[in-house]
Amino acid sequence: MGFIAPHLPLLDLIFIGTGYALSQAIVFRAGTFSVATSGFAALGAYCVAILVVKQGVHPAVAVGLGTLLGLFSGLLLSMPLARLRGVYQAIASLAFVEILVALILYFEVLTGGPLGFHNIPRLVNTWTLFFAMTATMLLLIVLGQGGIGRAFDAMRQDPTVAASLGVNPTRYHVLSFSLSGAIAGLFGGLDALRNFSLTAEQFGFSILIATLSAVVLGGRRYVFGPLIGTAILVLLPEIFRPLAQYRQAVYGLLLVVVMAYLPFGVYDTIVMKLHNRRLARAGMLPAKAGS
Amino acid sequence: MSSLVLKGVGKRFGGLQAVAPFDMEIARGKITGLIGPNGAGKTTVVNLITGVYKLSEGRILFGDVDLTEAPRHEVARAGLARTYQTIRLLPDATVVANVMIGMYRHQRTSLLAQLFGLPSSRAETARFRDEVFRLLDRFGMTRYADYPAGALSYGDQRRVEMMRALALKPEVLLLDEPVAGINDVEAAKLGKIFRSLATDGDGMAVLLIEHNMRFVTNLCDYVYVLDGGQLISQGSAEQVVSDPVVIKAYLGEHEDA
Repeated sequence: MGFIAPHLPLLDLIFIGTGYALSQAIVFRAGTFSVATSGFAALGAYCVAILVVKQGVHPAVAVGLGTLLGLFSGLLLSMPLARLRGVYQAIASLAFVEILVALILYFEVLTGGPLGFHNIPRLVNTWTLFFAMTATMLLLIVLGQGGIGRAFDAMRQDPTVAASLGVNPTRYHVLSFSLSGAIAGLFGGLDALRNFSLTAEQFGFSILIATLSAVVLGGRRYVFGPLIGTAILVLLPEIFRPLAQYRQAVYGLLLVVVMAYLPFGVYDTIVMKLHNRRLARAGMLPAKAGS
Repeated sequence: MSSLVLKGVGKRFGGLQAVAPFDMEIARGKITGLIGPNGAGKTTVVNLITGVYKLSEGRILFGDVDLTEAPRHEVARAGLARTYQTIRLLPDATVVANVMIGMYRHQRTSLLAQLFGLPSSRAETARFRDEVFRLLDRFGMTRYADYPAGALSYGDQRRVEMMRALALKPEVLLLDEPVAGINDVEAAKLGKIFRSLATDGDGMAVLLIEHNMRFVTNLCDYVYVLDGGQLISQGSAEQVVSDPVVIKAYLGEHEDA
């Protein structure tokens, strides 16, 4: 453990970041372009902080309530957003995040406003985070293999065809948003109990960009993509210490390179390559597409 | 046994009358043909039936069920399946995954069971998989099961689309130019499959939209002819092909010169 101990904070960051990235990935998988994850995370985090510090609620109960708050805000947000498509959805969900950040700054009595929310006890350790991440990944793997996964995949790739096969688009829209909200609410709450303090800015653009980057970098189709993407983004600046101060620039550059050369992300590309190799070995190398 | 009945169905896009009001019956156990030159409004009819377009007038009845206002997914759940004139598969998904989505209509496990992968949900997925492989076998596509659908040849992609529609186990099957771009031998094979779909067991109501006159006359029990959005003729295949109005629409006016 001597080697691992000093690096535990990094593991914490990877596990929480993966939680956020999974929340983002699930809406992508359902073909929805929402970036509301950081808003749900803010709701979960402030909910847990207020309940634990000001109301003396048991932390486990508080995290449960934070998760529920995320779930219901996802449910509510999905209704107006289900009427929008593509980039309009992205803009509307961005507005949701900005409004939340503004509200957190405004309700000083509850949230501490611009000064931030401080003196939160540290009640969460690396194992708790690891357990939460693993449980979330398992849930997503399991639901991805059944009917829900099939419906999400169909909606993402061709909403018209999905509907003509009987998939009710509204139902799965609502489901993906609710799941995304619950997951982000859970990890927001855990984040609050790890970080000692919360600020509104923390949940604005920075989580949003980090989460999007992790999903694009790692891959969207499989549950391990967000983990790989987050791990790369957290570890890269540590491995190349001199790069740490250019973190944002490195993120940007990395994203451009990945989108240009690995449009499906690191993990998805590897899985696809392996699948194709297996087909080729079975003597079924695809005749070039379009023939 | 119910047939699909269209009563006075018409569609206007703004001032343009795309399809003038017409009646049609797509009968159970029969193959009904819908033919007409390019731009006659054939695909519009399919889009009206499946809820892609809203009707400007008229009603669509399927037995006791009124499908006039039904959204797309409810039309599918009522038992109507379609294929597309331009193939619409999920190109990155495997052939099995593509056809599996067609099984959606028969999903019975609750959302919660699926969310947590309860045994009931997993058993259902396994059962669907078996049924999909039976379909693959019927179309001779078993060896392509794990192939990404987008990498298949054109004819095979058509087959996948058809299997996906059949996975719904529909009562009404709407085929929009299913043999376009397929050679005569392969088309004849598909024709045999269509025939057995209509006549075997409970028998589906099949609507076949086609350009290829020979294919239609060999296969269809009853034929409707559209031209410029107007229903210009209907009857048995023999009656229709000898109808002077139809000949004029297809070949143009005979000119003495």
